[in-house]
Amino acid sequence: MRQFFPVEDLARDERFVQTNMAERMQDARQPRFKDAPASGTRSSAKSRAATARLTPDRPDASDAARSLMHGIMTGEIQALEGAGRTAHDFASGDGTNDTIPFELKLDMARQAWDEARHVEISVKLSAWMGTELGQFAENTVLFQAACSNDPILRLAGVNRALEGLAIDVFTQMKEFGDIAGDPYLEFCEDWMLADEVTHVKMGSDWLRKVTEKDPERRAKALEFQQVVDKLFSFGGARGESDESSIGLARRFRELAGFTDDEVDVIAKMDEDALAERKAAVQLAQEAAGAVAAF
Amino acid sequence: MASTTDSPSTARAPFAPWDRRDLPGSFDVVETARRVGHYKWTEMKLFEALGGWIATIPELDVKMRLGTHCYHHAWHADLWHKRLPELREMKPERLTVPANDAMERFIEAMTEPEGPELTIEKLVGVYRVLIPRFIAAYTYHQNNTSEITDAPTIRTIKFILQDEFDDWRDGELMLQSLITTADHVRRAAEHQARLEAIMVEAGGITGPGSIG
Repeated sequence: MRQFFPVEDLARDERFVQTNMAERMQDARQPRFKDAPASGTRSSAKSRAATARLTPDRPDASDAARSLMHGIMTGEIQALEGAGRTAHDFASGDGTNDTIPFELKLDMARQAWDEARHVEISVKLSAWMGTELGQFAENTVLFQAACSNDPILRLAGVNRALEGLAIDVFTQMKEFGDIAGDPYLEFCEDWMLADEVTHVKMGSDWLRKVTEKDPERRAKALEFQQVVDKLFSFGGARGESDESSIGLARRFRELAGFTDDEVDVIAKMDEDALAERKAAVQLAQEAAGAVAAF
Repeated sequence: MASTTDSPSTARAPFAPWDRRDLPGSFDVVETARRVGHYKWTEMKLFEALGGWIATIPELDVKMRLGTHCYHHAWHADLWHKRLPELREMKPERLTVPANDAMERFIEAMTEPEGPELTIEKLVGVYRVLIPRFIAAYTYHQNNTSEITDAPTIRTIKFILQDEFDDWRDGELMLQSLITTADHVRRAAEHQARLEAIMVEAGGITGPGSIG
């Protein structure tokens, strides 16, 4: 078996259709974000009117929730594969020269078990929501973040950035289950959220420990984390603004080892991404208006 | 008031009548540490292989099960890692080694299949060759070590054996569901024979004497 495994070789059965971030962004059919409901939109007492959060009263709530759950499921499959690969790809050592501490390998194996349960849970939840396996395309970007030759970059990209995003998404889905009156969904998301906090904490703790005497490596890892964080801000779709469909789960992120400053940086990045996206939309609308006038 | 001498004695035999544990055992501390080091090395190689294979396996149920089993064997490796210093080995890495060259070759041969069409070969190596050898070596150790002086090892083996039996059963079920044609039977048997030959050369997980 090879030491490193490329994303294009990920093994799937024929139901799965894979795509990557570049293809996804180029796909005009792919909704990039959901606009906030118009002011005065009628909503239930428990919804968050005037926000873009995923709530059951949104007209597209059913499809959006099913798509999100399918995305969670494929993300969990890749997280399972990524954790397994990190347990495999690096020899046991002191953390230098392409080695990882024995205890970090054990944590990766533990994470593989957790992710396997998450796949089980999300497959059952998808079925519960009326979705078939492979009904939505699989974005393989999570595993790409787990392909770095530096294990610390994997921790930064997967455990800190992507599992951090999972904390935000699961918090959102737990809330969705609560508002929708779906205790089954809320129960499962609550359990998965507990595991994700553990995984992010693993990433935070190991990143600090292994790079304790190597500030350059730490800076590189944190830079990589920011790249992944920005990519997964989805143009501000994740953020603290009411215009973002997924909130930033500050409390759980703090439990997972993020400092206030680090969460502030992510919040600012999300805010900037939202502003960039809005400016791009405005430009596109102006261009469309100019064409129509012409 | 009755005097102390009139009371029935409360002194009991140190070993209750139902406690038939015996003091002698087949392994001294050094031999136990040697075996434990081989257990740890092999459990490590197994959990690394299972972890690495997850991405290479298209069958979703098998993919998930390997994730679960990967952790079981990592936990076993950790239990043995922690046992080594209790056996006077303060540098556990020193004894975390294969029993011999053949054992190392066995792991290389077992982890060789990578293609998505080779799930049968991957599972045969683990569930029809290596895990049965683990069950044999652990059972032999449990039944031959001192029940009193080496009670911590026995306790660890009992926990581990529970996993090994459960995982072996899972693996056998997965294999039986995948082996559905004469060609599959041939592939499974040939791969098993190839690996068994190397394992016989190795003499088992801890080398010759793994099961006496």
